Amino acid sequence: MMGGGSWGPVLALSGLLAGLAVAAPAVNAGDPAPRAVFLQLPDHLPEPSVTVRADPISGGRWRLTLTARDFGFTAICLSTAEPVPMGHAHIIHDGVKVAAAYGPIVDIGPLPPGRHVVEAVLRGQDHRALLGRDGLIKGQVVIVVPEGPRG
Amino acid sequence: MLSASYCLLKRSLCVVPVVILLRAGPAEAHEAWLLTPDEIEALAVAPMPFVFSSLLVLGPAAVLALLVTMAALAVETRLQPLEAEIAPTLQRLSLSVGPPILRLGLAGMLALAGTGGLPRHGTAPWVEPTLLVPDMQLSLIPGWGGLAAVQIALATVLVLGIGTRLAGLLLVALSGLGLVLFGAAFLSYAPHFAAPGLLLAILGGGAWSVDGRRHLDQWSAALAPLARIGWHVARILIGAGFVYLAVAYKLTQPTLLIAILDHAAFPRFGLPYPVLALIMTGVEIVCGALLILGRLVRPVSVALLVAISFLAVTLGETPLFHANLYGVMLLFLLAGASAPPVPIRREIRWGIA
Repeated sequence: MMGGGSWGPVLALSGLLAGLAVAAPAVNAGDPAPRAVFLQLPDHLPEPSVTVRADPISGGRWRLTLTARDFGFTAICLSTAEPVPMGHAHIIHDGVKVAAAYGPIVDIGPLPPGRHVVEAVLRGQDHRALLGRDGLIKGQVVIVVPEGPRG
Repeated sequence: MLSASYCLLKRSLCVVPVVILLRAGPAEAHEAWLLTPDEIEALAVAPMPFVFSSLLVLGPAAVLALLVTMAALAVETRLQPLEAEIAPTLQRLSLSVGPPILRLGLAGMLALAGTGGLPRHGTAPWVEPTLLVPDMQLSLIPGWGGLAAVQIALATVLVLGIGTRLAGLLLVALSGLGLVLFGAAFLSYAPHFAAPGLLLAILGGGAWSVDGRRHLDQWSAALAPLARIGWHVARILIGAGFVYLAVAYKLTQPTLLIAILDHAAFPRFGLPYPVLALIMTGVEIVCGALLILGRLVRPVSVALLVAISFLAVTLGETPLFHANLYGVMLLFLLAGASAPPVPIRREIRWGIA
């Protein structure tokens, strides 16, 4: 079927494919989350947590105060971060990222009347999402903005 | 000596990807930035698909991939006379139009990276200059902001085709520097920029270039063997890059690929996404391995060109994300596994007979 010179590539390829087919199930065991997106903290570290409080400030704007435990805020970003509980938080408003909080206080501007769900999701220094034992590490606050006086 | 090196290469082909797989570190990809917060939340707890965690599936899949490749290699043997007939024409084309395609694609990527004009998802354009690709922001490596200007200058000389060989070598150096500055995260990109740099260093400016007009693309007879070696190195780098990407991302992080397919409403072709993801992984590994081995280079180039274009259209990406690969694949499609016969400079020998 093939010339004698063709068996070298076939042998090389069969070795490669067999090696990967055997090794991949071991690597993929236990539902590992994609490393490109998530930073899994080691088990021996306490799991961070974050709570969010929202306060109205002047001009109809809202200020979020993030209280994080076992997590340090930093504005320093890295291309590849170590799995340590340090970084920043992404602020998600009704499913859309609106800001990044590099410290515990962040203003998110005015909100229209109605009910708003605002979440703070902890991220590592390389922007990957910190992964706790139950998924993302996040806090949530619901803001209800009353209708303003009608003129 | 060459034969021994080739055997070593074939053995490495089996061992290196498995080592990558077992020691896989964090890997960045622009794809991660496509997903919405809700999709990322779902991805955090997505179970590993059965087809990627079972030897009962991966074993037969590997056998099937091998059988398909063997069939393709058999067809290659039968089609060799036909390929030999059209090869000279294609190789001549590779020497003239190959370099400008490569130059302009790379120039576009370098200029946009240097100006921050092609940012990753979620970053405003023209704000964050990067190194070669949208993910590698220069602000992450203090003191290296000057690389933005270097890339813009490199883009300019590539467009004009002035000093193309030197520019190609500079691109190889930038790829290596990226590895030093950004670490393992740059492994996803370095081979796919070093290889086109090397190809430009071999071919020069080609058509529509200052170098071409001044006949600076010619080689001295003594150095011509270097062109052949350089071509093989470039081909191996490109193939190794594809195998690395397939193993580091698709094979070991399949839920990310599946989330992206879902996000883009990628056509299912009647198959579940995990199966489609496994097929994509297998195709990338086999194509990369064949490029390393220098077999089926033209058909593999066509397959990869079609696959990259189809993905880019489906995901709504700009072709500039992969302009480096388009140029290289077109060049491999024209020239094949080995370097085209580079023009040799006529050398005048002075002396007394």
